[in-house]
Amino acid sequence: MKNGLALFLGVFTTLALSWAGLLLTAHQQLGSLSQFKDPLDETLYPQPLSGLANQGRLVYQDLGCVSCHTQQVRREGFGADLGRKWGQRGSYARDYIRDESVLIGQRRLGPDLRNAGNVELHPYADADFFYRLLYAPQSMAPGTNMPGHSFLFEVHRVAGRQPSAEAIKLPSKYAPAAGSEVVPTYRAQALVAYLLSLKDTYDYPIERSRNAPAAKPKEGGH
Amino acid sequence: MNSTDHNARTEQMEIDASAKWPVLFFFASALAWLMIGGALQLIAAIQLHTPAFLADCACFTHGRLAPAAQNALVYGWGMNAAFAVGLWLMARLSATTLRHGGWLFVAVKFWNLGVTLGVLGILGGYSTSYELLEMPRFVPLILLVAYALIGVWAVTTFSIRNTENVFASQWYLLGAVFWFPWLYAIAQVMLFKAPVRGVLQPVVNAWYVSGLYGLWFVPVALAAAYYLLPKILGKPIANYYLAPLGFWWFAIATAFAGGSRLIGAPVPVWIPTLGTVANFLLVVPVVLIALNLFGTLAGRYAALSGSVTLRFIFVSMLGFVVAAGLNLAFSLRGFAEIAQFTLLADLRDWVMLYACFSTAMFGAAYFILPRLLEREWHSAVLVKAHFGATVLGVAVLTVGLAAAGWQQGHLLQDAALPFGDITQAMTNWFALRSAGLALLLIGHIAFLINFAWIICPFNSSGSAPAQFRPPPVLPLSQGPAAEGHA
Repeated sequence: MKNGLALFLGVFTTLALSWAGLLLTAHQQLGSLSQFKDPLDETLYPQPLSGLANQGRLVYQDLGCVSCHTQQVRREGFGADLGRKWGQRGSYARDYIRDESVLIGQRRLGPDLRNAGNVELHPYADADFFYRLLYAPQSMAPGTNMPGHSFLFEVHRVAGRQPSAEAIKLPSKYAPAAGSEVVPTYRAQALVAYLLSLKDTYDYPIERSRNAPAAKPKEGGH
Repeated sequence: MNSTDHNARTEQMEIDASAKWPVLFFFASALAWLMIGGALQLIAAIQLHTPAFLADCACFTHGRLAPAAQNALVYGWGMNAAFAVGLWLMARLSATTLRHGGWLFVAVKFWNLGVTLGVLGILGGYSTSYELLEMPRFVPLILLVAYALIGVWAVTTFSIRNTENVFASQWYLLGAVFWFPWLYAIAQVMLFKAPVRGVLQPVVNAWYVSGLYGLWFVPVALAAAYYLLPKILGKPIANYYLAPLGFWWFAIATAFAGGSRLIGAPVPVWIPTLGTVANFLLVVPVVLIALNLFGTLAGRYAALSGSVTLRFIFVSMLGFVVAAGLNLAFSLRGFAEIAQFTLLADLRDWVMLYACFSTAMFGAAYFILPRLLEREWHSAVLVKAHFGATVLGVAVLTVGLAAAGWQQGHLLQDAALPFGDITQAMTNWFALRSAGLALLLIGHIAFLINFAWIICPFNSSGSAPAQFRPPPVLPLSQGPAAEGHA
């Protein structure tokens, strides 16, 4: 090869084809995916995040939770995601269309969080659970290597004041010295609101039928 | 030595003199980032088995530290080292001096400013959390402007070449020079300026990550290998007629391979399938490139003991093959089901960035720096320590992470096993990874000391040649650019 121009054109075409073939085609197919209106309760799914949860999404982003947690449930028969109660069904593309930043993640050093707020799967996981998990992970998830996020909390002296209504209750092993209380900051409240908002409980009829296993042909039918 | 050879030598010295200060500055910045990134990476690795380590400060929580380390290594070390080696190679192969190098100082300063702001931004809580695009949103502009200056230098150096032939290294370099800014700019626009919706974001992200490794780091490593092997061995690239086919096939297949990172993800199935097909197609160019590189080395393995550059390049070639094997394995659904999201997935990217790319840059540095400074390396012990630590570290991490990831994947498959038990089972592997990274860091420190020694202006000429035996003299009138005909 001697011709610099031919080399440049080839190099350009290679990436242009890949961009058009992969990204543009995918955009063509998925870019206009819309919410689904359930005919019975006349509600649009997936629902948008609440304001506080949306702020929590930014906290999730800036703390880099995606370094260890995925947010994608693999379908039945591909991995043990459903068996681990990470979801009631595999995730669909439509689940994500109202998410402003879609962080499906690449590492599972911690569990999947796509259904972190799904009380049907883990009824114990309320706001208090997540506060305690963030402040002292070992207290809620024995054996975990999740780092504590004590910087999302303030430790107050109670002396002479009325205890905060928002103070979290901790097992004595992890609690601060007597006379102190641990109060979540606004960032912690937003983050927990976001985690509680993570649930794909609604199953879309179109996707469900497309992903259902093919019906067995009837034996001996004519 | 006839007069043509003499002229060629003088010309090479002129080229080296013109490239000296920019290339040295790129290398120095690269090494500084290698130290910073390596230290951050080690701390992040330690946190996985000692979670309380530096956890109380928000800046050093694992979720910020891990991406900060990766960004420092990719954009600080990787890009700067690639600029240094790429510009020097381009000037040598185009047989022309690197002109107006002063602008490159401006460029490298802006580049380093961008990376610094980016890494501090991630630690300070402005991360976007998109893989390898975590830097705060204003940083990419700085990086792209700085890159434009550097890329333009590579392209103009190529376009004023004094050679008739264009050698394989130049194809890979020219490709990489154009691919990186397009990949980076498109990813920025599609994720931040005019963000696409829903799962298209992970698709764009996977396309970018795969492109950055496959169309920037690996081609730069290959460019170094294609140049240094024949140069040191004093023989042309074997089966050179296969090289153009290998290049184009490699480029086209790699460009489409990104989708295989999304197997099992909530995206249309054709996206990972296309990636799988591309990864299978990649087998052919990998074999072609291996025929070129290993074919050149065939029968001359004894030369490995004589040149530390050659040894690093050999490790890089092995890394290239292992990376291709891992990419292929990850595009198989059955393998991905177990191995994705585990330490094995980390290994796949690490092999490309470190075992393939970084080792090639070390090899190139051992070759280039003595020529730029016209003196030898000071300490042969440190050279050997660097190589030994690198080989040992790469071996420990490759085998360790592969075994660990495989075990982790199988434990994750067992739905009855509580998650905490998996973490506990992995603790020793996490510790092994820290040990491996610490080993590499020791090698880097040895290299840094030798580097500081060789560039020290008060340094008399050193005594430890990276070539332990004088290399055979190539007929320079042909030069590597004529390799194909020899």
